[in-house]
Amino acid sequence: MRIGILKAYILKEMNELVRSRLIIMVYLLPTMLLLLFGYGIRMEVTHARIAIIDNDQSHLSNLLTSKFEHSKYFDATTTFMDEGEALRKIKQAQSDAIIIIPAAFEKRLLKGQTTQIGIYVDAAFPSRGSTMESYVQGVILNAASGLIPNATNGSIVINQRTLFNQAMRDEDAIVPGLIGLVLLVAPAIIAALLIVKEKERGTIFNFYASPLTKAEFIAAKLIPVFLLHSLNIFILLLWALYLFEVPFRGSFWLYWVASEFYILVSISIGILISVITKTQIVAVVLTVMVTIIPGFMYSGIIMPISSMVGMSRYEAHVFPVMYYNHILYDVFLVGEGLASEKTQLYLVILALYGVILLGLGALWLRKEIK
Amino acid sequence: MQMMGMLKIDRVSVTHNKRIAIKEATLNVNEGEIIGFIGADGAGKSSLIHAIAGVIRFEGQITFQNSVYHSPSEAEKLKSQIGLMPQGIGLVLYDLLTVGEHLRFFANIRNITQDDRFNEYKSRLLRMAGLDKFVDRRAGNLSGGMMQKLSLICTLLHRPKLLILDEPTTGVDPLSRIELWKILDQIRRDEGTIVLVSTAYMQEAAQMDRVLLFDSGEIIAQGSAKELIESVREMTYVLTPSANLHSMSTLDTTYSLEPLEAEHISPTLEALFFVNALQKNRLLPPVEITPRDGDSSFASVVMEAIGLTKVFGDFIANEHVDIRLNRGEILGLLGANGAGKTTFIKMLLGLLSIDGGELSLLGKRIETAKDRQALKSSIGYVSQHFALYNDMTVRENLLYFALMHQIPMDTAIKRIARYAAELGFEEYMDAIPTELPLGINQRFSLAAALLHEPVILFLDEPTSGVDAIARAQFWQLLVALKEKWKIAILITTHYMSEAEFCDRIVLMREGQKVADDTIANLYTAHPNAQTFEEIFLEYYR
Amino acid sequence: MIRIFWSIVGKELIGFIRSWQLVLVVLYMFSVEVYIAGSGIEINPRNVAVGYVDGTAGGLSQKILTHLHGPEFLAPRRFNSQSELSRAIFDKEIIVGIVFDEDFEKKWRQNKRAQLDILMDATAASQAYTTLNYLQHIILDISKINIPVDIVTHKLFNQNADNHTFMALTELLSIITMLSIILTAVVFVREKEQGTWDLMLLMPVNPKVIILAKSFSQIIVVMTGIVISLGFVVLGIFNVPVNGSLSAFLLLSFFFVFAGSGIGLFIAAIARDVMQVAQLSIVIMMPLIFLSGAWTPIYAMHPVLQYVSFISPLRYYIEGSESIFYRGTEWIDLWPYFLGVIAVGGVMYWIGFRKIGRLF
Repeated sequence: MRIGILKAYILKEMNELVRSRLIIMVYLLPTMLLLLFGYGIRMEVTHARIAIIDNDQSHLSNLLTSKFEHSKYFDATTTFMDEGEALRKIKQAQSDAIIIIPAAFEKRLLKGQTTQIGIYVDAAFPSRGSTMESYVQGVILNAASGLIPNATNGSIVINQRTLFNQAMRDEDAIVPGLIGLVLLVAPAIIAALLIVKEKERGTIFNFYASPLTKAEFIAAKLIPVFLLHSLNIFILLLWALYLFEVPFRGSFWLYWVASEFYILVSISIGILISVITKTQIVAVVLTVMVTIIPGFMYSGIIMPISSMVGMSRYEAHVFPVMYYNHILYDVFLVGEGLASEKTQLYLVILALYGVILLGLGALWLRKEIK
Repeated sequence: MQMMGMLKIDRVSVTHNKRIAIKEATLNVNEGEIIGFIGADGAGKSSLIHAIAGVIRFEGQITFQNSVYHSPSEAEKLKSQIGLMPQGIGLVLYDLLTVGEHLRFFANIRNITQDDRFNEYKSRLLRMAGLDKFVDRRAGNLSGGMMQKLSLICTLLHRPKLLILDEPTTGVDPLSRIELWKILDQIRRDEGTIVLVSTAYMQEAAQMDRVLLFDSGEIIAQGSAKELIESVREMTYVLTPSANLHSMSTLDTTYSLEPLEAEHISPTLEALFFVNALQKNRLLPPVEITPRDGDSSFASVVMEAIGLTKVFGDFIANEHVDIRLNRGEILGLLGANGAGKTTFIKMLLGLLSIDGGELSLLGKRIETAKDRQALKSSIGYVSQHFALYNDMTVRENLLYFALMHQIPMDTAIKRIARYAAELGFEEYMDAIPTELPLGINQRFSLAAALLHEPVILFLDEPTSGVDAIARAQFWQLLVALKEKWKIAILITTHYMSEAEFCDRIVLMREGQKVADDTIANLYTAHPNAQTFEEIFLEYYR
Repeated sequence: MIRIFWSIVGKELIGFIRSWQLVLVVLYMFSVEVYIAGSGIEINPRNVAVGYVDGTAGGLSQKILTHLHGPEFLAPRRFNSQSELSRAIFDKEIIVGIVFDEDFEKKWRQNKRAQLDILMDATAASQAYTTLNYLQHIILDISKINIPVDIVTHKLFNQNADNHTFMALTELLSIITMLSIILTAVVFVREKEQGTWDLMLLMPVNPKVIILAKSFSQIIVVMTGIVISLGFVVLGIFNVPVNGSLSAFLLLSFFFVFAGSGIGLFIAAIARDVMQVAQLSIVIMMPLIFLSGAWTPIYAMHPVLQYVSFISPLRYYIEGSESIFYRGTEWIDLWPYFLGVIAVGGVMYWIGFRKIGRLF
């Protein structure tokens, strides 16, 4: 590696990235993805639109209704329409659930008779439907048990302690995982374009015909993207901390180092794709296919790795996103840092990934016309 | 004991996509020698060039500076001594970098110490290329000629001992070509560089120390230009129409293997192509154009542009251009790269908006796009790159264009069959355009433009990169079309020899018209000029 | 004009079929991708890893644990001490840890308050929450408390809350979006790059007809894919219920694909080369797909995003399709979706016509 040559090449790449406005993509794409997913994806159901048909209009029924009205999960409205009309509201997707309080609700309850509450839930979106169902049931049971005296006799009390995310905030659960996804996709796409662009354009001849070595060429392609995206590590951190207000409990240095390793892995994936493809469009499609889908599936956002069985468990271990996300969740929410052997191991694995992928790229890169 | 700077190529073969591109080429070149490679498209010139430059796998052995290599990786150690400029205008340039940045970049990746001596050399190259005033201009904004000059000086920065140039002058205007050659000549003399150049211009090849003629992957003749020309003198005659079956004619010359009862004229290197084709019995069908189906009576002035102007940002591409095109006339539109020829044609067609001036087509003022609708069926256009659909065969392409022109199906099939026979691409009807040589694509692009029997034909550099025989054939066609159909043709070209076939010439320079006259009048006005190229150059001095 | 329209459509279709790689990709997307999404991606909590420490002899504790079974839970793993359990949670091997105290069962038998300690990794919020819900139900069951309220729940439209059918449908809709945009954009930008578009403009045919015909050919390709995917995968394998009218869905799809190809045309009109098409498509498609309401209901999003989603045709399409398949909504109630999709498509074509559909 000759430093002067590298410097010249990197300068040229930077110039091109800036002038081709690709630099906008470098900084727009990660932030855009983070904001979109961060604000756009909610695992918990909030503001579910609930119509309560109160046929009783009693003190107790009002008590129950107000429980719904004061819950952050529901936007409850009390209406007097008949069931058919309410169902039509659901069909028009204007209402998500209906709760029907029967006419003699209070009377029966006070007499100790069993009364029936009907719930209709729109389960067209199944997981949302199930969640809504359990929320609604929870509220009703909660309210009901408050009405029954001596209910605690011989009962089991659940003393729950939520670790890492006490407030059970969706942002805390999703945003760190998103950083893992974003830093996989964005650097890979840019890197994938860099070599294949020269192939398509013809400027690759400058590499073929000059004494430039393969290592120098790859380094020249890697370093600019690496430096530019290193800034994204901090930008994304700032969004996470100040926009999404995710706590940060671990070591900043661990976050930084692991992220740099991870970017290296991501760029290496891009370079590898760039080496084996011939046209930019194919390179982009391939990159999207091998990064976005696994990045999302194995990020731990949708499903924790520990819940995976069979093939998907092995696949999760093959994609680097799992290792990085483990560290990410650690630095944001857990804060164990390098004290955990698993974190140490994963950090080493990330570094190995970078080395191996780069090695493959260098091996497959040809300095001649195919 | 061989000389230090000698290049020895020993039975080099290159196989590309399972097809033998060049077979057992052997060549010895001495220090300071300049060798020209000529031959049709796909004859194997580029493959040999890539092999020598060490950028493609090959069989055989190459020795340079007493170092032997058999593969690209073995050639690695010599790459600091070799300069390669591959084929394609501005191919190795980065559109977004300025001229100055290119020079710095190319110097840096070759690890050149940038001392006073280098800087002096660099500014000399810049001056020679005429680029010293454009150091801060981005490569993407340079004209084709300037791009090629920049590519050349970038290749020269590290003072290579072996310079390999693949068609550096194709699509480049005469002025830039001359400048390119000046640079080359100077460097060769100063540095003792070996230069290998492939070219489509025979006048250029004639200037070289030795010329190699390539045909179907083999070197079939080599020697000095003089020797090669002598070898075909016997077969070159003045134009003798329909001499015999074993002859070929251009607009002013006839080549025949059998002796003719006609006078000999002095051949050029182009004669080699014709004689070789005759020897291999690759004859072309004679050009015959049947009269058109429709009638030939229409306005006598088919196009009149008055003060046409086009502005891109702060760059004036066309400034008050007045051009008139008459019925039954071939008008040659000439000018350096970037003089505004293509812009002008695109304005005529409506592909670019007109920023000033008036335009009439077939006697009708063009004000809005609506005015063009009725005229579309009277205009034919062949663009610079022969725009054709690459996912359809030639036949399907032509049928599709016929459909779009709303020509009844039976008429269309008849016409296509007729053009295929007359333009000589019958055997390629079921091939995909990308598989065909440029010359064939050019002919059937012309057929596509003629399907609806237009009365005006706009041709934008239809002959660039096309080999000598195909070009000769093409011009015979144009002349026949003009005579039989009374069609008006506006054509741009960089081959100055082709200007001689035009009825009238318009010369453009920096977006302005600088001359507009017949060939004969231009020769009268420039009595010292021997060829049209010289006249052209006088307008640029 | 009609004849020309159809010949252009025919030509484009032939071109599409000849590029067999593209055909394969499209077929793959409509079949395998939809299948993978439907069978592979699971949003409902499943296989939650549970660990426990049991200090009791194991009567009641085992009774509670047996309720934690598949598919929602993996078999609970036993740990010897609480610190071991915490370690596993910190290393993300266990999501929910349950600690049974030594006197847990004793207290319960004595009718005292028995306390069950639960540790949850809340980074997997939905898994943790569901587990908690489950435990509450189990304990409620075991506790024999009599609450005099009977809750009767009707899950409408998708009784089993079957996630597979839903994911398959969602993936199909995303794929329709991507392909209708990209295929059309590539058709036009390729013509621009190769210069054939100039020739088309010079043909004595209204350029609008050419544009419509070319995009119509891609609409046909996507519609064919939709029918294949519906027949073999969505209805064939996953048995997605069709509570509404299938022809309403096909018609809505047609207009949506029209809108999608309008966006493709728009991208092609402003892009210079395939490279820019790729960049623009990513920047336009990502928000389109993720703001469509397929992942999170629109009303739960940030207010700004809610407004932005109004211009996304996919929003109307997804809501409309869910309504047709699951809610069985009547034609008359579907008009907002049709209107939304057609309006977006119309605007896109209008821009496309102005940008590349005319001579000067």
